[in-house]
Amino acid sequence: MIRTVKPKNARAKRALDKKEPKMVENTKQALFVTGKSSNQVLHDAMVDLGALKKPDLKRFNKRNEVRPFEDAEPLEFFSEKNDCSLLVLSTSSKKRKNNLTFVRTFGYKVYDMIEMQISENYKFLSDFKKQTFAVGLKPMFSFQGAAFDTHPVYKQVKSLFLDFFRGTTSDLQDVAGLQHVISVTVQGDFEDGEPLPNVLFRVYKLKTYKSEQGGPKLPRVELEEVGPRFDFKIGRIRSPSPELEKEALKRAKQLEPRTIKNISSDDMGDKFGTIHMGKQDLGKLQTRKMKGLKPKFDQTRGDSETEDYMDDDEKDLQGGAEESYGEDFVTATDIDVEPPAKRFKK
Amino acid sequence: MSSIAEEKKSLPVTVEKAIPVSYDLGNLAVFDSNSLDRNDLDSSNAQREKHIKDVTRENVQLMINQILSLPIKSTTESAGGTSGQSASMTLVQLPDPISELPREKPLPKPKAPTKWEQFAAKKGIQPKERSGKMVYDEDAGQWVPKWGYKGANKKLDSQWLVEVDDQPKKAGDELIDPRTLSRAERKKVIKKNELQQKRNLKGAK
Repeated sequence: MIRTVKPKNARAKRALDKKEPKMVENTKQALFVTGKSSNQVLHDAMVDLGALKKPDLKRFNKRNEVRPFEDAEPLEFFSEKNDCSLLVLSTSSKKRKNNLTFVRTFGYKVYDMIEMQISENYKFLSDFKKQTFAVGLKPMFSFQGAAFDTHPVYKQVKSLFLDFFRGTTSDLQDVAGLQHVISVTVQGDFEDGEPLPNVLFRVYKLKTYKSEQGGPKLPRVELEEVGPRFDFKIGRIRSPSPELEKEALKRAKQLEPRTIKNISSDDMGDKFGTIHMGKQDLGKLQTRKMKGLKPKFDQTRGDSETEDYMDDDEKDLQGGAEESYGEDFVTATDIDVEPPAKRFKK
Repeated sequence: MSSIAEEKKSLPVTVEKAIPVSYDLGNLAVFDSNSLDRNDLDSSNAQREKHIKDVTRENVQLMINQILSLPIKSTTESAGGTSGQSASMTLVQLPDPISELPREKPLPKPKAPTKWEQFAAKKGIQPKERSGKMVYDEDAGQWVPKWGYKGANKKLDSQWLVEVDDQPKKAGDELIDPRTLSRAERKKVIKKNELQQKRNLKGAK
């Protein structure tokens, strides 16, 4: 752990704030560490891998004695000090010749490690002598081999290469920026128990031609190898513990897209809205207003209320009203006896 | 060069695959799980590089077809500043990345609640509705800020005549200018708030 002191000025505070965990993360920075036993081949290889990662990288020039599988603490220190979460360490020994150790960190602690040894038939960017890709462009990826979906080791390799080279994440991509592709291939299918086949790392530049079949929209794609070309032999591996993996793959709840309720669209792109309404109370429905339909004339009420309306009528009469409710009102039993002539006239 | 272009014109843009490839267009990646022959890819095979390139080309062709069928957004961006030239860019709208990649650092921790927020939660006090910075001044007949420059809380400071209470709030304040007292009161509140802020920050760590 690096001792953190309280920042004394605004610049130092900004620098520390920049290192804080963020909801939307910055592009992962790579740190290329030269090991004690590194050599020229590894140096050139790291330069070429750096060319693909530019500008999100840092490079160490001095050699460092690090044995990541025995003690990863120096790498964790480098990671924290430089705020880099992707580390590449170069070492070469009799047992593991031209070895690159790819380390990923999570919260400045080692997340996973994988050793990859460069086989003899490597070719660097300078060997191709071709016009290469522009700096800082997002590469495309092409992974060939079923093992990338099934085998845990190759899954890790896939995750590593995607994480390492994908650069900035953005939802808009310039079509003209689709210039190069990183191709990662498993050297043939294999059964369980067999030695792990190599991982073939190639970089191609895209060339597009107008095609009669594709019309104006789809071009014919051709590739031209620009290097670097590496055949990686897989060495020792350290995979993340399930708890660490779960923690690292967590996504911020705030960033998840909100579920839009009650709005849908069909295949034609027409938008539909669903409206939820309460059940209508038909008892309160307002129909044509008539005097006889007033609730106070409801027959379902008790006897005491019928007396009430009788009283009301009497008051009305006293008030000098010409029309009286008493005469208007007709009950089913009354009809035969006394037809309500006055009411119908009105 | 033109002869090459002519030659490519008749070549197909579609690719047939035994197992359909899967895409992660957010990361511009294509995953091909078709079987690969070990002999084709053996380092002793002279046709090895050509084979890798052909397989990759097919996959890239498939991906390019996919990418170009995504919704396109064209923008014109003035480049070169003074020259007034503008270049149009064709941007493709990519979907969100699908591949699960580990984060660099853990998710940021939520801010610790202040002492007031803790108290309010315990008592069930809802935050007051914000009514804005301006308040209506009945005497002047206009809207003035509650605080700050010409703020409503500084009303006393600019009065040429101030009424003095018969009974001062604190003993010994009789002979002090009420304007100074009101100013001191404001400053005291600010000090207190700063102290509380500091205490909350300390408690959060």
